[in-house]
Amino acid sequence: MDALVETRSLRVALVGVPNCGKTALFNRLTGSRQKVANYPGVTVERREGERIGDDGRVLRVLDLPGTYSLHPTTLDEAITRDVLLGRLAGVPAPELVVCVVDAVHLPIGLRLALEVKRLGLPMVLALNRMDVARRRGVGIRVEQLAAALGVPVVPTVAVRRGGADALIGILDPARWPQGAPVAAVGAQIGAAEAERLQHDMRALLAASGYSPPRDNPWFARIDALLLQPFAGLLALLAILFVMFQAVFSWAQAPMDWIEAGMAALGDLVATHMPPGPVADLLVQGVIGGAGTVLVFLPQIVILFFFILALEDSGYLPRAAYLLDRLMGFVGLSGRAFIPLLSSHACAIPGIMATRTIPNWRDRLTTIMIAPLMTCSARLPVYLLLIGALIPAHKVGPFNLQGLVMFILYAIGILSGVLVSFVVKQFGGARQYSPLMLELPDYQWPNAANLLLGLWERVKIFLSRVGGIILALMIVLWILSTWPAPPEGATGPAIQYSLAGRLGAMLEHVFAPLGFNWQISIALVPGLAAREVAVGALGTVYAMSAAGDDLAAQLQPVIAGSWSLATGLSLMAWYIFAPQCLSTLAVVKRETNSWRYPLIMAGYLFALAYLAAFITFRVASAWG
Amino acid sequence: MAQLLIVAIIGTWAALFAAWKLMPARSRLRLLLALDGWAAARPKLSAWRTRSLKPRIARAAGGGCDGCAAHDTAHRPR
Repeated sequence: MDALVETRSLRVALVGVPNCGKTALFNRLTGSRQKVANYPGVTVERREGERIGDDGRVLRVLDLPGTYSLHPTTLDEAITRDVLLGRLAGVPAPELVVCVVDAVHLPIGLRLALEVKRLGLPMVLALNRMDVARRRGVGIRVEQLAAALGVPVVPTVAVRRGGADALIGILDPARWPQGAPVAAVGAQIGAAEAERLQHDMRALLAASGYSPPRDNPWFARIDALLLQPFAGLLALLAILFVMFQAVFSWAQAPMDWIEAGMAALGDLVATHMPPGPVADLLVQGVIGGAGTVLVFLPQIVILFFFILALEDSGYLPRAAYLLDRLMGFVGLSGRAFIPLLSSHACAIPGIMATRTIPNWRDRLTTIMIAPLMTCSARLPVYLLLIGALIPAHKVGPFNLQGLVMFILYAIGILSGVLVSFVVKQFGGARQYSPLMLELPDYQWPNAANLLLGLWERVKIFLSRVGGIILALMIVLWILSTWPAPPEGATGPAIQYSLAGRLGAMLEHVFAPLGFNWQISIALVPGLAAREVAVGALGTVYAMSAAGDDLAAQLQPVIAGSWSLATGLSLMAWYIFAPQCLSTLAVVKRETNSWRYPLIMAGYLFALAYLAAFITFRVASAWG
Repeated sequence: MAQLLIVAIIGTWAALFAAWKLMPARSRLRLLLALDGWAAARPKLSAWRTRSLKPRIARAAGGGCDGCAAHDTAHRPR
């Protein structure tokens, strides 16, 4: 049976330069749900998918990280080379390589294709984005190119339905031999070899009758503005500002709907279930805890809509280029921009994306400051506190709440800059590592990619709410409920529970920061993941109110019981606190040492305590 | 009493699930391998081992990054 399966399957690897549409083609081939972006270096992780043909034959498709050469300068590129050479433990060498080349920028892709072909593996060349190439007047004679290169060449349009049918037709496992010898590839490319590659590439271009794309005058005009050091930075700030304004202005109605839905659900459960611990668990623990986090879904969707649209439009690599010099002043490489931007979604992919930074010191600095970027897990906390404590006034044309959100993001970025500057002062001389980026053409964001990306984010958020957050809320509810209050007790039941006692102990530690016992309790499960603290506050306050339906009304409760100084202090705490165990685990994995996660946790806790203390004292003094 | 029992079961499940989710990938893999070793000595569990445990181990092994080239120590100062 195993032998039968083996003969009916084919291991295919997709290889190509960054931004050639390789990931879109992978999605087209496998139906896999993977984020598609168009800035270099996005495919950091290994992605594998399957395609089962009508005859039962299986294609196992591996989406390799984008690379310009098989002579790597970054860890990503090293992974691609090692997989192709069969050197990577647990990943057998592919039996067929599909080299994906952007037809609009054929020369760059052909150079890599020539390198791959020299490995001796069976290969197919996919000429992707042929629709754009035709529109822009690119001339390629496909048959002549195939004859000159000596491999099948197939035009594809990965983002269009049916755009990869010709390629799928050629990937018949019966047509390709199983296994093939590979040539050795050295660590460095020699001058003679580079010249030979260049010569061969030019010969191929000539043989295929290649004519380059017409320049788009609009792209040049837009770049003249967006890449200009001063005007470009202003444009970047304006884009970010509009993004945060929209998060607050557009999300209100759907948030109200979710809030009303959760309240109605709570009422429904309370009405239809017999009173007792199970009904209490559902209303206070599940709906009151996880439901409080769910309310922030619309704001998260709007934020990621902007980020994904900017990715897809081709703007992000330009932002990286724009910031390279500025980042150099504080000891960072321009390559750090994309990992740091990714960290605004979650520090974990951001830290993993630092593999594209070749210099170890630059990479370590980027890893150390990645948790300072405002990740989406902090969003529910910020949104809760801003909604509760900051009035929705207009400041000129701006929404004050959006302005505060922008400031919180800006403080996170500035803190990263300052920490990086300090590391630069104490870390010795920095080796210069120039930034080389391919600036993709501008394009309207692809609606399908955008929706797919948003759906991915929604799924991640919902799976966290329905998974780890829900589980921790249930545990916290139990800790907040038992033991029951003694006879004749007058205070809220939670004060006598295990969680209440723990909160009372922690309150001594956090009292100088203005945190009450409810916040102190919420910080404990919040250590696992930041947004859990919001659900924990929902549970704790629902419990404190001894049965009142507060599940969907946490903001008014906070507004009524916390001072502004306490709220600001908690925001300051969350800018710095390393309350994410997964991030620390990934830092350990990426640096292969416990030293760096411990240093990170230590310095972030110290900064968090100091910032919250100063914020509380200053805000209290100002009344 | 029955309600308390249900809450206790749900609470235990939630605590185990949270601990599992928060566990580092490498520890999770080690635990699965230990479980596999224990189950290997029990023929009655062989179907569960093949159907459920083995795919889980394969997924956990793929999720970890320790085996990949990103851990090439040549990129780190010694």
